[in-house]
Amino acid sequence: MFSEQAAQRAHTLLSPPSASNATFARVPVSTYNNSSQPFRLGERSFSRQYAHIYATRLLQMRPFLVSRAQQHWGDGVQIKKLCELQPGEKCCVVGTLFKAMPLQPSILREISEEHNLLPQPPRSKYIHPDDQLVLEDELQRIKLEGSIDASKLVTGTVLAVLGSVRDSGKFLVEDHCFAELAPQKPAPTLDTDRFVLLVSGLGLGGGGGESLLGTQLLVDVVTGQLGDEGEQCSAAHVSRVILAGNLLSHNTQSRDSINKAKYLTKKTQAASVEAVKMLDEILLQLSASVPVDVMPGEFDPTNYTLPQQPLHPCMFPLATAYSTLQLVTNPYQATIDGVRFLGTSGQNVSDIFRYSSMEDHLEILEWTLRIRHISPTAPDTLGCYPFYKNDPFIFLDCPHVYFCGNTPQFGSKIFRGPEDQRVLLVAVPDFSTTQTACLVNLRSLACQPISFSGFGAEDEDLGGLGLSP
Amino acid sequence: MADQLYLENIDEFVTDQNKIVTYKWLSYTLGVHVNQAKQMLYDYVERKRKENSGAQLHVTYLVSGSLIQNGHSCHKVAVVREDKLEAVKSKLAVTASIHVYSIQKAMLKDSGPLFNTDYDILKSNLQNCSKFSAIQCAAAVPRAPAESSSSEKFEQSNLQVSSETPANHELTTNGHSPPTSKQILQQPKGIMGMFASKAVSKTQDVNKETKTETKEVTNVSSVGNKAPGKGNVMSNFFGKAAMNKLKVNLDSEQAVKEEKIVEQPPVSVTEPKLAVPTGLKKSSKKAEPVKMQQKEKKSNRGKRVELSDDETKETENLKKKRRRIKLPESDSSEDEVIADSPGDYEAESPSPPPPPSPPPEPVPKTEQEPPSVKSSSGEKRKRKRVLKSKTFVDEEGCIVTEKVYESESCTDSEEELKMKTSSIHRPSTMTVKKEPKEERKGPKKGTAALGKANRQVSITGFFQRK
Repeated sequence: MFSEQAAQRAHTLLSPPSASNATFARVPVSTYNNSSQPFRLGERSFSRQYAHIYATRLLQMRPFLVSRAQQHWGDGVQIKKLCELQPGEKCCVVGTLFKAMPLQPSILREISEEHNLLPQPPRSKYIHPDDQLVLEDELQRIKLEGSIDASKLVTGTVLAVLGSVRDSGKFLVEDHCFAELAPQKPAPTLDTDRFVLLVSGLGLGGGGGESLLGTQLLVDVVTGQLGDEGEQCSAAHVSRVILAGNLLSHNTQSRDSINKAKYLTKKTQAASVEAVKMLDEILLQLSASVPVDVMPGEFDPTNYTLPQQPLHPCMFPLATAYSTLQLVTNPYQATIDGVRFLGTSGQNVSDIFRYSSMEDHLEILEWTLRIRHISPTAPDTLGCYPFYKNDPFIFLDCPHVYFCGNTPQFGSKIFRGPEDQRVLLVAVPDFSTTQTACLVNLRSLACQPISFSGFGAEDEDLGGLGLSP
Repeated sequence: MADQLYLENIDEFVTDQNKIVTYKWLSYTLGVHVNQAKQMLYDYVERKRKENSGAQLHVTYLVSGSLIQNGHSCHKVAVVREDKLEAVKSKLAVTASIHVYSIQKAMLKDSGPLFNTDYDILKSNLQNCSKFSAIQCAAAVPRAPAESSSSEKFEQSNLQVSSETPANHELTTNGHSPPTSKQILQQPKGIMGMFASKAVSKTQDVNKETKTETKEVTNVSSVGNKAPGKGNVMSNFFGKAAMNKLKVNLDSEQAVKEEKIVEQPPVSVTEPKLAVPTGLKKSSKKAEPVKMQQKEKKSNRGKRVELSDDETKETENLKKKRRRIKLPESDSSEDEVIADSPGDYEAESPSPPPPPSPPPEPVPKTEQEPPSVKSSSGEKRKRKRVLKSKTFVDEEGCIVTEKVYESESCTDSEEELKMKTSSIHRPSTMTVKKEPKEERKGPKKGTAALGKANRQVSITGFFQRK
């Protein structure tokens, strides 16, 4: 682990100045391959209906589900389409789930004059015991009941259900299965420790100054300014830094210009301008020392719909001078030193959190891996580009490290798939609140959180450091 | 002795100047490796405490190590006060590093001032932020100008200076200045560019100067903050005529685009160069406050300003001959603010050998001031060219009266009255052929410009003005 390796060298800094000071060379990039091409959008046209995504999603996922169903329930299981169903006959159907939720915000209901409804206040979860599951395939849809947990599932999941049709017209489910993990190429074996630092939620421009020192300490550790020689040597093994979204704070999104009178807001600058300048300086410090990949997030100045396109380099005049800075999409996938990374800035996971009973972000992350889709709720409740040719959010192969940013707390887990796939799941916490980042060791595929703290007037009991017993 | 020097330095910083000396601050100030700075701080603390146990010194330490928390081993990095150091150390399972973080005279309530100190010193050293660091990355090299991305070509299409004469060719690259040039560079280049477009011949010195400017790709220090400042500084170096052109040039619709930094140009290099012209004064030049820098800054239209860096050449040429000044048509930038500088700008060329024969006469006539520059507040104040009579004694001792246009703030209604330039008296001894042309151009241009309400109709609009 990072700490142990760092502690191996003798402490030299509590001593008079020595004649020479060690300088370490950053581990060179051995292999890097950015495979986010499916998430880059070229010419965009929004004149399409969103139904095409679902159609292509089902089309692409059907073969995976059929093979899984046969694995689970035997080769003899009958796979039928909804139109072919006979009452009482046990069979398996593959389709897309739709969850009818009464609490789901609906713009039509909101603006409907006959209801005279006030807009619904935002809630943290929109689930309700009365939620109904409906299975849709290419032609028909049917209500589901039985041993299937409606609270956990969300709209847009493609799955296979085993059961039979009742006379009431509903499908009684006995069992269901997901597409599970995609095939995975084996991870390479590395001879030295190499680390990738995952940070998300820097939250610049947020007004609170507490996280700024933490951010500066983070940059100093990575660039080798902080720490003793051992730590600096270990930091030199950090081969890449990935900033997973929400570089700007939620506060920079306030749009006074809409609410206030023009004469009050005419000469005011958007809050994001200062924040982007600060971000530019931070990126400059980082890129002068380590390759950086910057992913946009929910509050960053890029498009809203998934997949989010990279931030524009004109915003970072200082940092784009260095070729080590890379502005990438959200979601982002790349192969770093042979290890496949795939991750998002967290919008997919937090959206599923809102519409499902699952509480732990790491658990949701694992679930998306199992259903083989990064973001099933897009385009239903999460903004998404109207794809029609293919759905790029389907896992075509399994990554080695799968992360999502901006979670409330750190979480990390090794997940094993049915075909011996091994995935490291990382829930990267929001830095502005937790002051914690993640160090992924590429050799051992383990993740260690690294947290920073300063001291404040009230930290008498080391509570701020999390060190209190 | 050198070792003792740092002790004295630290002593001075902490005790006399009452500063917060962080290791990073010391490292940049003394120019030493960060680890050495940490060791210096420690050494100082030890010695000071040994010789004077009641010393007023508060020290903060950086502690890092691993800790078992929530079932996994978490690496913690913390800045702690001296009194908490032992407690924190005891909590860590493995201590990776401890070193002095900062020394200050007063007890710190929280770590905010530490951050501020580091931030300030970092801001002034942004370009070489990893110079004293313990990790050097071979891959982190600033992009060379030649490798600039396609965004540059995109910008260059709008470059005004493309109409430069061949003599400018070496500087055209400036005009299409390295795409990597940043905004701050673009402003000086814009000033240059204005002159470049007008220059007929450039002196070698001017060439050199502008070339140097080209090479100075970017000043990495906060561009935004410096650019307006620089703009004003720059404008101080040039004559009013030059300023007019400058203004017009920058007025023209060109996006100011930030491009990649190529190298780290010490800003100071530009400034000494620009300082040279300061000495030169053109007595009767009327300085036009240069507002473009501000306008550029404030103009939010995403337009780029392609600047060639021939401005100094321009000024010199202005001096030497009344060459026609090709004023790019000023565009209608309603949002641009005209910051009124006190009008003391001198047109300076870097090394203008006073031409023996060319008329020392100031060349106000060649000024084609953009007739209308509107203030951002949307009021109808404009700079208009006003026909005024100027009387002065020229080089040969003759009293000369000329009617010249000079820019003046006035309201819209007066604009239309100032179009004619037919009556310009010229000293007979002077043979500046270009003057009449320029005069004619002036009004024509003024008319056209005014007529279009300072709007550049097409991208090549200003070319026709020649």
